[in-house]
Amino acid sequence: MKNIIVKANAGALTNFEVLDLLNSRGASKDTTRANDKVSGSEYKVYDYLMETAASTQTRETVTKFFDKCKDFKLAKAEILNVINLRPTSDVELTPIIEKPDEREIDIDGILALVQELLPPLPSLEAPKENEQEETEDGEQEETDDAEKEETEDAEQS
Amino acid sequence: MFCLSELEDTVRVHPSNLGSPLEDAIKTELKELFLDKVLSIGLCVSIYDIKSVQGGFVLPGDGAPTYKVRFRIVVFRPFVGEVIAAKFKESDSNGLRLTLGFFEDVYVPAPLIPTPNRCEPDPYNRNQMRWVWKYGDDEFIIDDSCQIKFRVENISYPPVPIERAEDAKPFAPMVVTGTIDDDGLGPVSWWEACAPISDNDED
Repeated sequence: MKNIIVKANAGALTNFEVLDLLNSRGASKDTTRANDKVSGSEYKVYDYLMETAASTQTRETVTKFFDKCKDFKLAKAEILNVINLRPTSDVELTPIIEKPDEREIDIDGILALVQELLPPLPSLEAPKENEQEETEDGEQEETDDAEKEETEDAEQS
Repeated sequence: MFCLSELEDTVRVHPSNLGSPLEDAIKTELKELFLDKVLSIGLCVSIYDIKSVQGGFVLPGDGAPTYKVRFRIVVFRPFVGEVIAAKFKESDSNGLRLTLGFFEDVYVPAPLIPTPNRCEPDPYNRNQMRWVWKYGDDEFIIDDSCQIKFRVENISYPPVPIERAEDAKPFAPMVVTGTIDDDGLGPVSWWEACAPISDNDED
């Protein structure tokens, strides 16, 4: 068989980027799944990713987090792990980071950065919020379309 | 977990698909060929984009044009040391089996379950064994009550078997071996008692 692989690794992707790709093709949570651009196996990946931290992340938060992580001397693979898992405590960060003491890694600083920049994990049950989606486009997502509809909402700053 | 891979292959587009734009026709063919299949680089999840299309020659005796396409796909290939959250699928005396929904062949063999542990017949499910971790005076059960985090130890691509026994497990072209023997790994509920970073007092 001829070798068809030009480049086995053309770049690592965070879970968020894959979810973004599927979303841009039109994957969504509705159960009819009639979209022909997203196949059944892709929907399985979509379902899995929607339950992880990636479902609440946005491109800005992920890029910002990645930039700030450079100050913490983490390896790229470790940053990827942190973005995908969004750890909330020391013990969640332990299996990700190797030999933190020898490398003088600021664990608390990383956790504080995660808390500050990455959106919290999705709640697995949100029955009431779904009912409001008929009038407003999903209060959980921050898209420009939603902002156009909410022109009368007072600026809550 | 995912990465991009660049491939180049010859794609034969059936004449019935030539009504749609060329890129769509080629993407449909690529989807049939690669989606949900395991290559040497991992499990192909999605076609990312097409970089270049060349050719379009019709070979003698054939009615369909053949293109040389260079494209990128999204591949599921976890790296060793990656921590992934998965769900419990089943367990037996050899260890655990976890699933990610789209990928179901994650195995945690018995040596990689935190010790001391014991394996007992599952009281809820007669065919399965249940693993229990004994830490101090507490016993922690491994079951499907919550997500289980594991760290990737190894990925292997067993060769296609030529002969198999009748009742053997369906052949898995890609097997991920994981460990849950470390702080923060294993069922998420085991570690929820550790206070997340906040100003409140620990419970």
